[in-house]
Amino acid sequence: MDIFDELEEATNYQLEHGDLPVWLAEPVLEVARNRDKYRDKEYLIELLLMQVREYDTYAEAGCCKWAFDWEDIKRSLKKLLEE
Amino acid sequence: MSAVYLDCNATTPLEPAVAEVVRRFMERDYGNPASPVHDFGTFARMAVEKARGEVAAVVAARRDEVIFTSGATEANNLAILGLAAHGLATGRRHVIGTRIEHKAVLEPLEELAARGFEVDLLPVGSDGRLCVEELREVLRPDTLLVTVMHVNNESGIIQPLTEIATALEGHPAILHTDAAQGFGKDMIPLSSPRIDLISISAHKIYGPKGVGALVARKRSGSLPPLRPLMFGGGQEQGLRPGTLPAPLIAGLGTAARLAGRNHPERNETNRQFRERALAALAPLKPTVNGDPAYALPHAVNLSLPGIPAARAIDALKDLVAVSSSSACTAGSTETSHVLAAMGVPRCMADCSIRLAWSHLTPEPDWTAVVALLESIRTEFTHGG
Repeated sequence: MDIFDELEEATNYQLEHGDLPVWLAEPVLEVARNRDKYRDKEYLIELLLMQVREYDTYAEAGCCKWAFDWEDIKRSLKKLLEE
Repeated sequence: MSAVYLDCNATTPLEPAVAEVVRRFMERDYGNPASPVHDFGTFARMAVEKARGEVAAVVAARRDEVIFTSGATEANNLAILGLAAHGLATGRRHVIGTRIEHKAVLEPLEELAARGFEVDLLPVGSDGRLCVEELREVLRPDTLLVTVMHVNNESGIIQPLTEIATALEGHPAILHTDAAQGFGKDMIPLSSPRIDLISISAHKIYGPKGVGALVARKRSGSLPPLRPLMFGGGQEQGLRPGTLPAPLIAGLGTAARLAGRNHPERNETNRQFRERALAALAPLKPTVNGDPAYALPHAVNLSLPGIPAARAIDALKDLVAVSSSSACTAGSTETSHVLAAMGVPRCMADCSIRLAWSHLTPEPDWTAVVALLESIRTEFTHGG
């Protein structure tokens, strides 16, 4: 199982069992299923994987950054497209 | 041909993938993680959190249990001296360590002793290991801290951390380990939830110098009762102020991830190197210091009777770069305190060299190495 498989699995898990909304999951799955396009961006894929695994709608509600919200994931997706 | 680097217990070469990540955050994504008000700062913050998770994963800890420091020395100081106020406030002023600890542990322990703590330094056997029974015997109700290194930097011998953790079950003492040499190399013992504090360093696992971490495991939701040693910012949960070096931290994270992912392959490569090294050096009839059954596969400490270490290291420098002891005491002419604690006679300790390699190490010209060492032995044996 490579990093792209892990990203797809984590995204599907968060869709089914977590709070990850469909509108956010779709572009992430698009990345996960296009390994040829994103193969050279492993660092950013790893970052995205962490954010999906630890997604929390209310990540910014506390004092510390112990989870990630939709803005974090959107920012990572933007960076993936820009680079 | 340049000399082959065989001093990987002093520091390791930078893994190319790590160098790439460090460069990225030096040159392109140079935001301050404490300034997440724009994309530069936010991305740096993400990189720090990613690295935190990668370090935590190696020891089965949580992301919020990783405190970044400048290296293992600072982590050791924070772990040991950071508990002083709690010890004084609760009347627990007894601390246990071993005689083979690195100076980065021994000197903070000396400082604790100067502040009124009672410090017991336990001996080790000729195998290089602490006897856990002796630890049990000195443990007291007022023992605040037990600090035992994971892997010795001079002998490469793994200490019985799992057994120590078991021995401390039910006792409130905080268990700290200086894992500078073992983190990312000997994976299972550091996962013990009984180990409260783990000091690690990036440059021992093919990461950059100048960064490390103290993993501080929570008990019942609370971090160990540490107090900061420095003041001037709220970073790292108030325990380590100062701007986080995002490039170094990102490099540490990548190095930790690769250490976890590539552990079996690296171990096997290092084991095979060890076999070849010992076979090549066998004509010199070396004595291996410490029990090889407990040694990490990437290092060996050898006594070569009749071949003074200082002379050998100097003579070999165009072939292989080796050392005789800890990098932090290599400039000293004192006999190794580690070998002395293991009962190695001074005449043998003074003929001891440490060889440490990695999965990145090319094969040295062993034939030339042996020939050179033989000539030194002849010179010293016949020349007086």
